[in-house]
Amino acid sequence: MSTRHVLLGLLAAGPCHGYDLKRQYDARFPQARPLAYGQVYTTLQRLVRDGLAAVDGTDSDGGPERTLYRSTAEGAHELDRWAGEITAPAPFVTNEIFAKVVVSILVAAVPVQPGQDGQKPDAAAHLRAQRAAHMERMRELTALKTAPGADLSTVLSADYALVHLDADVRWMTTTAARIDTLTAEVNGT
Amino acid sequence: MKADIRIAWILARGSERREWYRILLTALGALAATDFALAAVAIAAVPGQVSIPYGHGLLDQPGQRAGVVLTLVLLLLPVVGFLGQCARVGAVHRHRRMAAMRLTGATPAQVRRIAAVESAFPSLPGAVAGVAVFAVVLASTGHTPYPAAWAGFAAVVLAVPVAAALVSVFALRHVVVSPLDQVRRTVPDPGRRTLFGFLLGSVLVSAAAMLVTLPADVRSAAFPLLVLALVFATGAGAIWAAGASAALLGRRLTLRARRPAVLIAAGRLAHDPWAAARTHAALLLVTVVGVGFVGVRAVLLADLRAKKDVLPTDMGFYTTGIGLAGSAVLIALAISLCGLAVGTAESLTTRRRGLAAQAAAGVPHGVLARAALLETALPLAPALLLAGVGGTVVYLAYAAIVGGPVSLLPLLLPVGVYAACLLAAATSLPLLRRAVHPSELRFT
Amino acid sequence: MNARDEEPAPGAGALISARGLRKSYGKAEALRGASLDLHEGEILAVTGPSGSGKSTLLHCLSGITRPDDGVVTYGKESLGLLPEQRLGELRRSEFGVVFQFGQLIPELTALDNVALPLLLAGTRRGPAHREAGEWLERFGARGQAGVRPGEMSGGQSQRVALARALVTGPRAVFADEPTGALDSLAGEQVMTALVHTARETGTAVLLITHDAQTAAYADREVWLRDGAVHSASAGVLAREAVRHEG
Repeated sequence: MSTRHVLLGLLAAGPCHGYDLKRQYDARFPQARPLAYGQVYTTLQRLVRDGLAAVDGTDSDGGPERTLYRSTAEGAHELDRWAGEITAPAPFVTNEIFAKVVVSILVAAVPVQPGQDGQKPDAAAHLRAQRAAHMERMRELTALKTAPGADLSTVLSADYALVHLDADVRWMTTTAARIDTLTAEVNGT
Repeated sequence: MKADIRIAWILARGSERREWYRILLTALGALAATDFALAAVAIAAVPGQVSIPYGHGLLDQPGQRAGVVLTLVLLLLPVVGFLGQCARVGAVHRHRRMAAMRLTGATPAQVRRIAAVESAFPSLPGAVAGVAVFAVVLASTGHTPYPAAWAGFAAVVLAVPVAAALVSVFALRHVVVSPLDQVRRTVPDPGRRTLFGFLLGSVLVSAAAMLVTLPADVRSAAFPLLVLALVFATGAGAIWAAGASAALLGRRLTLRARRPAVLIAAGRLAHDPWAAARTHAALLLVTVVGVGFVGVRAVLLADLRAKKDVLPTDMGFYTTGIGLAGSAVLIALAISLCGLAVGTAESLTTRRRGLAAQAAAGVPHGVLARAALLETALPLAPALLLAGVGGTVVYLAYAAIVGGPVSLLPLLLPVGVYAACLLAAATSLPLLRRAVHPSELRFT
Repeated sequence: MNARDEEPAPGAGALISARGLRKSYGKAEALRGASLDLHEGEILAVTGPSGSGKSTLLHCLSGITRPDDGVVTYGKESLGLLPEQRLGELRRSEFGVVFQFGQLIPELTALDNVALPLLLAGTRRGPAHREAGEWLERFGARGQAGVRPGEMSGGQSQRVALARALVTGPRAVFADEPTGALDSLAGEQVMTALVHTARETGTAVLLITHDAQTAAYADREVWLRDGAVHSASAGVLAREAVRHEG
């Protein structure tokens, strides 16, 4: 799961302290491993280095936890690109898709800033497009395994991929149906 | 048409037990109908005045013979009622079969033809068996029927299966089976139309039979026709009472019932009140006739005993005649009770899965049994009361005309019939035990 | 912007076309302006949540029910104008239908069940049984020929149902959740048999399912939501975005 993009997403709502960013990350992605402070700061520094984020000031206490970071215009652009991108279908990509859905909802809740273009990420549409990509891959795998003369190992590996892709598809279908509830919860946190 | 018969035959061959019961019962009904009709034809074919050693000379005069023929024709009516109950056996399954065939692409007309062949086909072996029984009886009495009778016999043997087929086709003409009944499980509701069709048909047949067999002058024909009208009026009233009370009791008791058996029975009655009326129709008509008959018999016997010395023939002539009429009423009653038993049994087997689910959920067997009996008992009481009243009016009228004593004995008849009905319904209780077995919970 | 205005005329080469179908059961609206094209020889999956009207769509397309509004075109004919007689004949000879369960006649053996459409058309028993036997063989159910549906497993009876649907050489087969009551291996057998045979004979298949693995046997997928059909590809995204702005 791309940590830098998630942090960019968290910054979309407004400037944030480093400490706060870690806390929000852990709260929104309870299934993932808790983010180490070291990793947070390294990622933030790299974002600043790449011009996707900027330091907005430091509290009188000093120290990295108290540094205020914000997102830049390039950062917002990069975030949009990443959130709109369809993930290549393979087993165990749910974390990636989930991150994009959460981030999309977060960003969608933010009022439009002057200077940003009007396109808002639509989580439900993204899920549908992702599902279509998954189904295409599933069709390929099914044709592969039902071809006459397919050997056992092909069938077994195709079955494995199919079952996991099916699990993703099921999750995406349910999520798309729940998107309204999800939006309210994410914005309430 | 040939294709339809072929398909109907394949379906019949693969039928489960229930279909075989229906085929057997329908064949028995056809047998009875054929025998009554053949007997009527044989007697009607006897020309002029003869001396026949049976029935104390009852069959000697054409006039009395006409009466016997009339009785035999009237006995056909309860048989038709019985056959109607038999047709209901397996009706739900037949409906599902028809829906599955519609799904496969059978046209509605095709499906109706196949169903008509299915329901009418047992009457052919039934008619043939009826002829065989009749031939045996004739042979044992050593009588050869008059030549005129043979044509009539042939007509009867052809007419019974053809009539059965025509009635089936007629009854099914409006049935539109949706291919999706399979999926959505609706059951057709024949409602009141078949009931009043049966009633109307009975009136017409009886009136026609009477007009043909009884003497032609107006005054003596008027009284029997009046009696006929009265009987059917009260019969119709009693049948209506059965349906209406089923609906009323069903509604009221589902709200107020305190005992579970009553609640279940009331629910069933409210769901389809006219099913009770259909099952009991023939029975109620027979009760009206029976009550009237018992009363008239008492008056007649008293009158005859008073006039013993002035009679043209001996008492045996009259008592035999009355006895024969009485046995005809008893036979009619027996046939109607069989119809009731068949109807109750069919109602239980149709609901097997629901009953099994109730039993599995913990409803005690006693409650289910009592509910089944109550379902028969509740609407029958007011209906039999009305039937009894109607019959009483007939015999009171007769007593008024002839001037005889009025006994209250006939009023016991409806009570007796009620008890007999409960007994007939109770014969299907062993089926209940089999219906609630857990293996009925399977879904195939 | 009204989505209805954008609907194209019935596509050339479409075997069966539906435009603007509406159907309600009492107060519940099952279909709200659904449109669909089924092309010759293609395998089309229709997916969607339960209660989205998928079965109703199949019933309307195959002539089993008539929609309240809208047109279904088969070749040159409009199904709504045909009498019940002709619709029954269509189902018998040019369409095949497979449901999730309960479609075989319990009183008939598997062989008789498969031969039924032929018998209904008036074919004599001998040739009908021979043809039926061949189809049972093709679906690997030859051993069930003399068995009644009540004594078969779910997978076996579904294969018999498939044989019955295909015995008259139909141009289109309508399958409503054919694998719904089956486990994955039995389902795979049924679907593989269906797809292979359909491709061999050039029969179009309309497949209703809520299971993605079953839908993956099809060439193309459409998604039914709220009684209307959406194609499950990026194309719909553009339309959705436009509708939000409009």
